[in-house]
Amino acid sequence: MIEFSPNDHRVPEEFTNLTEKNLAKLAARPLPAGDTLRFIFTGDSQQFYDEAEDLVTSVNKLPGISLLVLAGDIADFGLAREMKWVDEKLRRLTVPYVTVIGNHDLVGNGQPTYQHIFGALNYSFVYGDTKFIMVDTNGREYNFNGTAPDMPWLRSQLTSLNGARRQVVVCHVPPTNEDFDPALRAPYVQALREAPNLVFEMNGHNHSYTIGQPYNDGVTYVNSDAFSERHYMIVTVWGDKQFRIKRVAF
Amino acid sequence: MKKLLLPVLLLASLASQAATPPDTSAAKPAAGTQPERPWYRPKHLALQTGGGLGMVAAGAGYEFSKDRLETDILIGYVPKHYAGSTLSLASLKFMYSPFRLPVGEKFQVVPITVGAYFSYTHGTINDELKGQYSSDYYWFSTDTRYGPLLGSRVTFLAPPVAATGQPRKISVYYELGSNDLYLASYLNNRNGGLGFGQLLTLALGVKADF
Repeated sequence: MIEFSPNDHRVPEEFTNLTEKNLAKLAARPLPAGDTLRFIFTGDSQQFYDEAEDLVTSVNKLPGISLLVLAGDIADFGLAREMKWVDEKLRRLTVPYVTVIGNHDLVGNGQPTYQHIFGALNYSFVYGDTKFIMVDTNGREYNFNGTAPDMPWLRSQLTSLNGARRQVVVCHVPPTNEDFDPALRAPYVQALREAPNLVFEMNGHNHSYTIGQPYNDGVTYVNSDAFSERHYMIVTVWGDKQFRIKRVAF
Repeated sequence: MKKLLLPVLLLASLASQAATPPDTSAAKPAAGTQPERPWYRPKHLALQTGGGLGMVAAGAGYEFSKDRLETDILIGYVPKHYAGSTLSLASLKFMYSPFRLPVGEKFQVVPITVGAYFSYTHGTINDELKGQYSSDYYWFSTDTRYGPLLGSRVTFLAPPVAATGQPRKISVYYELGSNDLYLASYLNNRNGGLGFGQLLTLALGVKADF
């Protein structure tokens, strides 16, 4: 409570390194090889605490879900208290959740705050037959300096499936948006087009649900609802890159 | 941390020396009259921690309207370890304390101080370069904060300065506060998504009149 600044990111230990802790929880509930994967996809929880509570209640009623994926903008102002408040809601999920950083999480001292509370800005993990690549695409927050998305890192991630059968890229700002680094748009789209067994690219930021192939190159882009839209998606993936998406109101 | 604390302590000790001139002062004024205070000379010094205004915040303040109204100007410091970058904060506090209850001869209790603050933070990592965003991309300011305060204090009345008859006092205080962003988050969740206690910050401090 003795807060040195709103940018002060001291939080109790239980609210630090959440990515690592949540991935450990996920690893403790392995999905047998060959099994279909079902997960919840949502984004933009920023300042929507009432909705977060209802979302958790709704998701906890669903059987057969492995995890929840949150596509960034966890906080609205890049503040530690906000990230803690969102975690206080989402830790009540019966399944683990994972996040990718959004532009609002990077405001002010949001970057070290996110790293302290959640963890890496770019990371990947394999669950069952699916590799998830979580990448920071919030180019505008870095003044379009060519570092976000980190293309060398992303390319190397996309090259190897690490034993998985298929892969998914999750980010916050989609390449179709003006907040994506314009110099990296074409290389990003191309890297995704060439990636083996990419099921789809998933992003948030727009606060509205869309599924489409904006570049007509066979790559599907899925945009999540924000918490405020009171909808999430149940995503089912199987085979090399088959998927089904069901949108659920809560 | 040590780098900053030292000058602050030095400043405070210098100021306290200045505030207690030796009793051998030649021009001893008649009892009850006080030498003219220059208008700009602060009435008190303050040192506090927390309240969103610094790990350490030090400054000075003025009192008006029979000391019921106060305004403090504080410079605060947050080490990089706690915020990701070294922050310096400039803050302005306005406070109103309607009652002062004597407790014995040497103490006073100020049960309620209400107020507001305004602070500017220097040193944040990503705080809007020119042209980074279109106007109103973010509706809030990264570095400018304001919020309400509510606190209490206990004052120790020290014997007056012998040379001048100037009263002296030292107060310890606490303040509960919040800021515009926490309050906005609360107001946008009217179904109990956030508890009021989750918005609060605590400051502890000491003030010395001189």
